Amino acid sequence: MLLLENIKLALAAIRGNKMRSFLTMLGIIIGVGAVIAIVSIGNGAKSLTDDLFASYGKNKAYIYLMGDPDGGVVTQEDFFTEADLDMLKERFPDALAYGALSQFQSSNVQIGKVKGRLQMFGAGGGYQRFRAMEMIRGRMISEEDVRHARDLIVIPQEAAQRFFGAGDALGKLIPVTINQEIREFAVLGVYRREKSIFDSLAAGDSFETYVPYTALSTQSVEMDLHIAEGYAVGTTLNSMTDYLSRLKRKPEGYYIGTSVEAEQTMIDGVLGSLSTAIGAIAAISLLVGGVGIMNIMLVSVTERTREIGIRKSLGAKTGDILLQFLVEAMILSAIGGLIGTGIGIGAASVGLSFAGASVQVDPRVVLTAVGFSAGVGMFFGLYPARKAAKLDPIEALRYE
Amino acid sequence: MGAGGNGAGGGGAGGAIAAAEDGGSKAMNGEEIIKIENLWKVYEMGNLEVKALRGVNLRVCRGEFVAIMGASGSGKSTMMNILGCLDRPTAGQYFLEGMEIGSYDDNTLSLVRNRMVGFVFQAFNLIPRTSALKNVELPMVYGKMSMSRRRQRAAELLESVGLGERSGHMPNELSGGQKQRVAIARALANRPPVILADEPTGNLDSRATEEIMEIFSRLHTVEKNTIILVTHEQDIADCTERVITFRDGEIVEDRRRA
Ligand SMILES: Nc1ncnc2c1ncn2[C@@H]1O[C@H](COP(=O)(O)OP(=O)(O)OP(=O)(O)O)[C@@H](O)[C@H]1O
Ligand SMILES: [Mg+2]
Repeated sequence: MLLLENIKLALAAIRGNKMRSFLTMLGIIIGVGAVIAIVSIGNGAKSLTDDLFASYGKNKAYIYLMGDPDGGVVTQEDFFTEADLDMLKERFPDALAYGALSQFQSSNVQIGKVKGRLQMFGAGGGYQRFRAMEMIRGRMISEEDVRHARDLIVIPQEAAQRFFGAGDALGKLIPVTINQEIREFAVLGVYRREKSIFDSLAAGDSFETYVPYTALSTQSVEMDLHIAEGYAVGTTLNSMTDYLSRLKRKPEGYYIGTSVEAEQTMIDGVLGSLSTAIGAIAAISLLVGGVGIMNIMLVSVTERTREIGIRKSLGAKTGDILLQFLVEAMILSAIGGLIGTGIGIGAASVGLSFAGASVQVDPRVVLTAVGFSAGVGMFFGLYPARKAAKLDPIEALRYE
Repeated sequence: MGAGGNGAGGGGAGGAIAAAEDGGSKAMNGEEIIKIENLWKVYEMGNLEVKALRGVNLRVCRGEFVAIMGASGSGKSTMMNILGCLDRPTAGQYFLEGMEIGSYDDNTLSLVRNRMVGFVFQAFNLIPRTSALKNVELPMVYGKMSMSRRRQRAAELLESVGLGERSGHMPNELSGGQKQRVAIARALANRPPVILADEPTGNLDSRATEEIMEIFSRLHTVEKNTIILVTHEQDIADCTERVITFRDGEIVEDRRRA
């Protein structure tokens, strides 16, 4: 088998012309590097968002006030109230697993000398069934707490540690400011949750806490819902939105329903079309890289015409010469692909490290990149190699 | 043997080439190894025709040592290139070991060059940036000989031309005479029955010329190779046993010495 001999020859030729080989590979290096970097970053981003969506659950949905699509003012009448929510629960007793008016407030807090900031999310009874959280002290908010709009708060372990140290936080009062009014919320429970990258990014000095949503306000422009397991999220949400629109005598489009599932589908779509666009760019850069390889191989064939003549005079067949130059082109671009892969992974890990994520190097991706580059080299090396192989021995020997 | 001959010539070619592999060059005086009949080579240059060979007839027997002489442009190299299967004649027939070369396709000609002839050029024609050893190995690489066997044989061949110590040298690290000795070793690699040398000493000084001619004389007397050698120098022609003179593409004299 001449293949091994040809690989050695190709490596020697590439080594003998290091700078030129490198410049020749540059197109492939950049093309493959860009693709690998972007694909790795895309995969990293996808797994981040997937984790996020998974932590909320796909069945989470919202209905929010959009207003008249043709313009016009929005009045407080249009806001969702407790009564609307009750009607909705009555109408969809089985399909609606959870419902609450969306409420959110944040407040600076000082207890003694310790300062901090609380993000207060309004929760309904049974919230913990849909969002992973482990209660280490006390309990989560109940239907009762919501109905009586009790000033209770569930805080994370870190906040308990921060404000109350080693002591028991349960029942302690936390003074929070809501609409310029200072109110004291009693600690109902302490929870622990695995921190996602988004939590650590968003949190900073503040803590994610839960209060009965009724304690914050009795009306909202948005409802938080969970569609029961076994119901199609999209269609169920549509009928709920329609029902609310009719209830409030508003035209279609005045209220809009959306779900985590729909958002994920949309983001996946964006990521998908992004990777299609990247694929196109990659194809172009690999094309340019391939043309570079072809160009330099043609130069190389011309420069080595005499060598080809000598080889033929010693008995090299057409196929031997063809293989020699084809292998050289393939190895040249495969090495380019390998370098590009390395650079791409390096760039991606730098990029992702800012988001606190790490690159997962999939050996299949590396193999595909190198294999694909070699394929590009083969495709674009074929013409120069054929040109070399078809040289007439005596003409090649006479070439100077 | 990958490339079979085409048509009728195929079987015969395969047989003869295979035979050559195991020392088919043993001298059998009187037996014809080369036969050329009414050979023409015409170069078309625009509307000008250059008749480099005009109906040459030639027979060479196994084991002969032949010199070809003649003025510059008389067609010697043209003749040698056809004998070496590097070029094809415009008309006429060339039989090598009884095989009609004109009927062969390119890959069969490659095989013939690989097994049947060893060509030594005036310009040495070593592959640059490739060691002497690797250069000598090349015909055996294309002949699909195993790595260990061809390495060993290449080393022996370099030894036999007095370059055992230089096997790792690159061509640009060798003198002209040394390069030509490497080229001769390479020509002998597959033990071809015919050695063709086109002005092998044309680029060498008298010392190197002597060394090269000693090698050719030894190949003739000891190895019984068939050797055809082009030269402009009478002393070199004097080493041979037959001198053929070309003029304007024709053989004008064919003189055997005792
Ligand atoms: N490729 C070619 N194209 C056109 N004419 C050629 C070609 N090669 C050789 N010739 C012509 O053919 C004739 C014979 O050339 P050849 O090279 O055989 O001469 P030679 O006897 O080897 O001469 P020298 O002793 O100088 O080497 C010359 O007239 C030359 O110009
Ligand atoms: Mg000549």
